[in-house]
Amino acid sequence: MSGRVIVITSGKGGVGKTTTSANIGTALAKAGNKVVLIDTDIGLRNLDLLLGLENRIVYTIVDVVEERCKLKQALVKDKKNPNLSLLAAAQTRDKSAVTQEQLKEICETLKKDNDFILVDCPAGIEQGFQNAIAGASEAIVVTTPEMSAIRDADRIIGLLSAREEIESYKLLLNRVRPNLIASNDMMSVEDVVELLACDLIGIIPEDTGIISSTNKGDPIVNDEKSLAGQAYRNVARRIMGEEVEFLNLEEDKNFFGKIKNFFEKTIKDIKAKI
Amino acid sequence: MSFFTSFYNKVFSFFKPQEVSDNNVKEVARSRLKLVLMQDRTNLTPKILEQMRGELVDLLSKYVELDKNLLELNFEQEGDQVALMLSIPVIRAKDEKEIEEALKKDALLKGIKLAEDEDDADAATEENESVDTAEGADGDENCIEDSETSEEAAQDDSQSAPAEEENSSGENSGGSVNEENNTPETV
Repeated sequence: MSGRVIVITSGKGGVGKTTTSANIGTALAKAGNKVVLIDTDIGLRNLDLLLGLENRIVYTIVDVVEERCKLKQALVKDKKNPNLSLLAAAQTRDKSAVTQEQLKEICETLKKDNDFILVDCPAGIEQGFQNAIAGASEAIVVTTPEMSAIRDADRIIGLLSAREEIESYKLLLNRVRPNLIASNDMMSVEDVVELLACDLIGIIPEDTGIISSTNKGDPIVNDEKSLAGQAYRNVARRIMGEEVEFLNLEEDKNFFGKIKNFFEKTIKDIKAKI
Repeated sequence: MSFFTSFYNKVFSFFKPQEVSDNNVKEVARSRLKLVLMQDRTNLTPKILEQMRGELVDLLSKYVELDKNLLELNFEQEGDQVALMLSIPVIRAKDEKEIEEALKKDALLKGIKLAEDEDDADAATEENESVDTAEGADGDENCIEDSETSEEAAQDDSQSAPAEEENSSGENSGGSVNEENNTPETV
């Protein structure tokens, strides 16, 4: 078996890289894939918290690199899903504790008996980023419909496209707020895609459920009712090669909104006919 | 009366599809970002981009009537290549007569200028070079790069312009090659 190594990156901090890693990883594992999540944010690790595994970590990626343990020993199995495991970052060291070659080697080893290796990248474009992308052949660029996040994503896309090892990179638009887009206060999905000239792999709506899911240490994809969870599950299916339509976030949910949508559509149709 | 109009407006704004309003924050963000990304991708300063745009408008409006305000200059990234995308809303194509007139006018303008500094043409290029080095001495590496790229861009544009001119109006164009090469820097 030769697994796929996908790096999840963004440039800007706080746009949802770690949340995305946790959720896509969990969704892929739920769909029956063997998945390893690697946290490369050494010194500022958080992926363990989002998965609720913080109390189970014995060894970290730095211990593996410095040969205090075997790679297998450092992999922490998820509570709910035995298909999913985490290779945690060290909290007490910095980004220089692991080199690009070492990360590449870890990815190569994990490839042998896993379907997916997801690498959670730190913010920035410095050594941490260079390390994280070292072993990857695919990338997901996470951004939000905000100025600074988009600008940083553009930088990242530029860096990724210059790298031969990266065969494909896709855009994941996070924290989309349909009501702000409708009132023209936020750039639409189409705007962002046009500006960045990059294919989409997912649109995740802003969801307050993310906060409680993070607090519980239980990724939102495990919540069948959540819209963001649904969106992340769809991303996982797209990664697996399925064609899944993007969720229609613009439709108003309440009764009056539905009536309004109906009329707008009819008026549009009539105008088109004329 | 006013009650009815306001009521009417309310009802219709309810059914009307979104309209571009004055305080369209999204549009502001989009256009700001567009410019910033273009600068990030190319290292061209806003001033140089504006100059490039202006020269392109001047050049193209000799041949077609275009909507100057809607001319869009954009850099798009495709893989590791950056492509210059130019979108020009053409109002109408000019006929032969008009083109000829525009070219004559252009040549005349240049003729006047040319007479002034025909002999100084070579001296002017030297002068430009010295200006460049002076700029370089001011520090800032970007500054040198930018001024070089701008010169290249300006020359590229102007060279393609006279090339087309040569087809239609014969003798003047030879002179205008020199002239156009010099104008952007001397002005």
